[in-house]
Formats: sequence, structure tokens, C-alpha cells
Amino acid sequence: MTAVHQFVPTLAPRDAVGRHYLAVQETLRGAGYRSEIYSYEAKEEYKRLARPFASFSGATGKEPTWLLYHSSVGSPVADFVAGRDEPLIVDYHNITPAAFFARWEPAIAGALMKGRRQLAELEVRADLGIADSAFNAQELTDLGYEHTSVVPILLDVAALDATPPDPATFARLSDPKASGGADWLFVGRLAPNKAQHDIVKAFAAYRRLYDADARLHLVGGSSSHQYETALTAFVDALDLGGAVEITGGVSAGGLTAHFETADVYVVASEHEGFCVPLLEAMHHRVPIVAYAATAVPETLGDAGLLLDAKDAYTIATAVHRVVTDTALRTQLIDAGIARLREFDLAKSRRKLLDAIEPVVGAPT
Amino acid sequence: MTDEYVDIHKLAAEIEAEVRARRAAGEYPPGFERELDRLFDRFAPPEVSNDFDAALERAEDLVIVDPVIPVASNSPVLGVVKRVVSKLLGWYHVWLAQQISALSTAINTALRLLGGRVVELEHITGDVARARGVGARTPARRDDSAWNDIVVAALRGVSGRVAVLECGEGALLEALTGAGLDAYGVEPRAIVADVALARGLEVRIDDGAAHLHAVGAAALGGLVLRGLVERAPLGELLLLIDAASAKLAPGGRLVVCSLRREAWGDNETAAEADLVAGRPLHPDTWNAVLPEQGFVDVQVHAAGAGAYVVAALRADE
Repeated sequence: MTAVHQFVPTLAPRDAVGRHYLAVQETLRGAGYRSEIYSYEAKEEYKRLARPFASFSGATGKEPTWLLYHSSVGSPVADFVAGRDEPLIVDYHNITPAAFFARWEPAIAGALMKGRRQLAELEVRADLGIADSAFNAQELTDLGYEHTSVVPILLDVAALDATPPDPATFARLSDPKASGGADWLFVGRLAPNKAQHDIVKAFAAYRRLYDADARLHLVGGSSSHQYETALTAFVDALDLGGAVEITGGVSAGGLTAHFETADVYVVASEHEGFCVPLLEAMHHRVPIVAYAATAVPETLGDAGLLLDAKDAYTIATAVHRVVTDTALRTQLIDAGIARLREFDLAKSRRKLLDAIEPVVGAPT
Repeated sequence: MTDEYVDIHKLAAEIEAEVRARRAAGEYPPGFERELDRLFDRFAPPEVSNDFDAALERAEDLVIVDPVIPVASNSPVLGVVKRVVSKLLGWYHVWLAQQISALSTAINTALRLLGGRVVELEHITGDVARARGVGARTPARRDDSAWNDIVVAALRGVSGRVAVLECGEGALLEALTGAGLDAYGVEPRAIVADVALARGLEVRIDDGAAHLHAVGAAALGGLVLRGLVERAPLGELLLLIDAASAKLAPGGRLVVCSLRREAWGDNETAAEADLVAGRPLHPDTWNAVLPEQGFVDVQVHAAGAGAYVVAALRADE
């Protein structure tokens, strides 16, 4: 039996890339390949699903064995696979340019730089580079990867319905709606490249120009304590503490509650390699206003209002239009549902196998 | 409210145009956006790249490694265990900490010596980075009228967005939008950009090279390089051409507007020319450089006695 084993830096629940690893394993096994996950660390309930990467000892007998390395940050796992003899495929989920973190978290910037160096070094070893988006594929090509293939993140959209909204969170978010005001939402780790501070600026302009009762919910854990501290101080200095909620990490039910009570999903990110929450917003029928940077236009397609400018007034004006124009809202929501079909799990699984099979051969 | 299918690309363009018009008409609170920027910057750490002394001081603060093993614990039993381990291994920790501190001190000392030598070099050669910053901030005025027609002709028929880096007070940008091109400008000097914004033009206040780096691959139909091409050092200029090649769609047009070397430093550009390391290339040099980066059909046009325009086509893949 041919084996395609995955090597990953971290396997963590409630993480889109983590769920992708598991879906890839299921897809490979379903197609007849042997497939295990080897990781540097596995968290919480995912511990039993992965083996320590250093415990990998190579092919069993004469079994053809391939390594599938997932690149998203600097990791000892990359050095490990670089030193192995088995043929290699790299699945690239994008590494945020270190410059975004340099002044906020130098240690993270270092890890990101290392990740990019490792990605470049793996080029000579890799027979194929898989990328979540054409944007990521271009980065691989720029690094010299000769063969690349675009396979979206394997996301089971139907599974998003499995978690109902947390009742307490839903009630807390719904109650203020009685007195009016739109609810803005952004989901993503607090990080300089995701530019939550620019969302706050646009939100401040929006309250000033259009809707003094509006609320903003920034949902997601923190990738930078310094950035989180600055963002919180910024919100307080603007006297928006009562209107802006910085939630930190939330449960799956809490996340559903936020999506189900949002009026608009706003993205001001400077750098995204794919942007999974866009798909979640589409699924929860929340219209999207987004700054057109990096892979965002590609993931969003025509399913949102895509802006070339990201100044506060432009975003505020676009949000106002989306919130107040019912027909436009409906059109964007319908376009989102249609767009989501492009990322249907079965389609993405097929794309993955179509990319891998010509390289590793059909399962034996 | 709309009651029929909306072309969202047109709508986005309309929204951006509406904001530009309202900004030009003075409908937005003056200075509000810049106040937001300043306020956030108050809480953000300083950029790391600019302050060598601060970075060194931070490293020196961390030089001394604390050899004392922490023994506090919420659990009395664990506290006892930690104290026992501390007694047993304390000498080893002190020995390790001393070596690490000695190594860090040696590295920091070497860095400080190196820093001193760089400062000495800067004193001898002039602080190029500082002078360049001043040069880039100096609001030089240029008379674009000599090249407006040539640039408009070179870009006629281009589809997609056209970026003008740097757009200055917007005369060339205005000529391009007036000719029906979907053009926007990028200008790092706020005082200059404000003049262009007041004309109702779409202008981003940003560093030209940084903006080009952030633009998506093959996202532009046209690119005009103006101003920064005259003062960028050679290395930066070559990186700029690489970026132009990556960000222009196949078939897209690159246009370079530049003073000639002999006119560089005259009159309004004197401060820039005096304070920066770069200088304009000879027009023929573009002929040699651009084909290396995937450009074809390179044409040089004279734009009066003191300036020239180079137009080139981004080759299909």
C-alpha cells in the first residue's frame, strides 16, 4: 500500500488548518493510501490523533512512502523532513511576512523568517507544492517550486451547523439590538497583519457619520500580547469601550452566536493566505465588506463588497451601504451561498487527490 | 435602496468616488483620520529598524541571567520539592547563568563597538539614511506638463487599474483620470498628497515601494513611476523594477517619468538631489534593464530638454 504521511508543526482543535490536516488524512485513507499524522506538538483532544514527528522511522518494508509537509511557520519538523530520503510534497498555508510582527513580537518575527527560509530550502526536495490559493501558489513559484497545484483548505461547511449558538452569548448579543445599532464582526487572531486597528478606525468613523449605536465584535485569540494591549488601549482612548468587544478565544457555540447576530462582516487584513472566516460568514449569511489584499479577493470572489481603499471613511461608507440597502444585502448573501459551493468539501477532496495522484501514483 | 442586481465592482468604485468627492468638499471632520492614526501610533511600539541604540539597550537589559531558581508554589508539597531541587542544582544554575551572561555581554560589547564604527562611518560619509528621509519628505515641486501627454498616450487603452507612484500634487494623475483611465495615486508626503486629495483624486498616503509590494500579483493594468525613480539608490531601483514586473498583468504598461541627470538638482529638486544617495538613470539604461525583467517594446521619449519618459510593455507569460 502506498503511504502518504503528513508532517505538521502543531495539531490543534478549533483551528482551520488543524481541521484541514484531519480532512486530508480522511481523504487519503478513503482513497486507499496509508496515512498518519506526525507533529511537533498536538493539543488537547487531538493528542491521540498525532504521533511525535521524531518517532517516524521510515517506510515499512518496500511500501512506497511519501511525506506531506504542511508549511505555515518555522518548525523543527521542516528540518526533519528536509533531512529524510522519502519523496516530499509541501502543502503551503502561507507564512505571514515577518515585517508585520517585527516591532510587536520579535520572537514571532524570527519564527516566521525561519519558516520562509525553510520553505525555500524544501524546494529542492519537493516534487509538488500544494497551495490553498493562487496567491500562495505564486509565492511557491517565486521560491522556485516548479510544480504547484491549488487545493482549497478542506472545510466541512456542513459541520458548522453541528454547533448551535451558545444561548447565553446569543442572548447577550441579541438584547442590545432592541435599541438599534448595527453589529460589525471580524473573526481572526489579534495580529498586526489582520489590522484589527484599522477596523476600529473605520468603526469610529461609522459611528460618527452614520450610526452612533453601532457595536463591533473582534473575536479570536491573540497572536501578539503587545498588539492586543495596544488595541485595547486604542479602543479605550477612543472611548469606545462600551461599543467594541474584544472577546479573546470563544467556544464553537459562542462563535456561532456571533455570526448569527452580526449585521456585517468586515475585513481590513493586510495579509491573508486564504481567510477561512470569509467562508464561515458566507455560511451564516452575513454580508461581507473587505479590503482587497493578498488572497482575500480570490477567496471572496463576487460574494462581498471588495474595496481597493482601506481608509476609515471608505470602509464606513461601504458598511453603511450594505447595512441599509436590503436588496444589496440579499444579493451579497445569495452570492455568498453560491460562492461557498466552490469550496464544497467533496470538490476540494477531489482536487487534492487530482493533485497528488499523478505525483505519488494511484493507491496500491 | 436598490431593487435590481447591483454590479458590486461598480458599486465599490462608486463608494470610493463618493468618499473622494465628500473629502474634497470638506464634508468629513478635518484631521479625524490622521488623529486616529496618531492615537494608535501612541500605543504601538516604535519601529524596530530605526533605533539601533534602543535595540542595543534592550539587549543589554537582558544580558544578566537570573541564577536564582524560583521555588514559590501554590502547592506546599511542590514548594518543598522545588526547594530541594534548588538546593541540589543551585550551583549548576549559577555556573550556567554566569557563562550565558558572559557570552551575552561579549556579544553586546562587540555590537556596541560595531555600532560605534558605523556611526563614525556615517559622520565621515554623511548619515545617508537620515538625509534620505529628509530628502523624501521635502515637498519638491515638478512641472509635469512636459510629460502628461506622452504618459496619457502611452497608457491609452490599458484595462485595469493604473497606479501612479509618486503622484505629487496630482497633475499627472488628473490628466490620466481625465483621459478615462482608472488611475489612483500614491504619495508619501502628506502635505503634498493633501493637495491631490483636495482635487478629488484617489490618493493613498503611503510609501510608493511599500504600496507596490502590498498590491496583488498581476493586479495592475498600468504603473507610472515618478519622483522616487530619481532618488532611489540602485539596489532599491532594481527591486522596484522586479516589483513592477510582478504586479503588472501580462500586457500591462510600465511608464517611467524622470528628469535627466543634467536637470536633476536644478531648482525645485535641489533638496532631494542634495540629500539622497540615488540619481536618475540615463534613459538608455532603462533600455538595458527592463528587458531583463520581462518587459518588451521599450520606448524612450524626450519630454522637453530636462526630462524623459520610458514606456514598456509587460510581456505575456
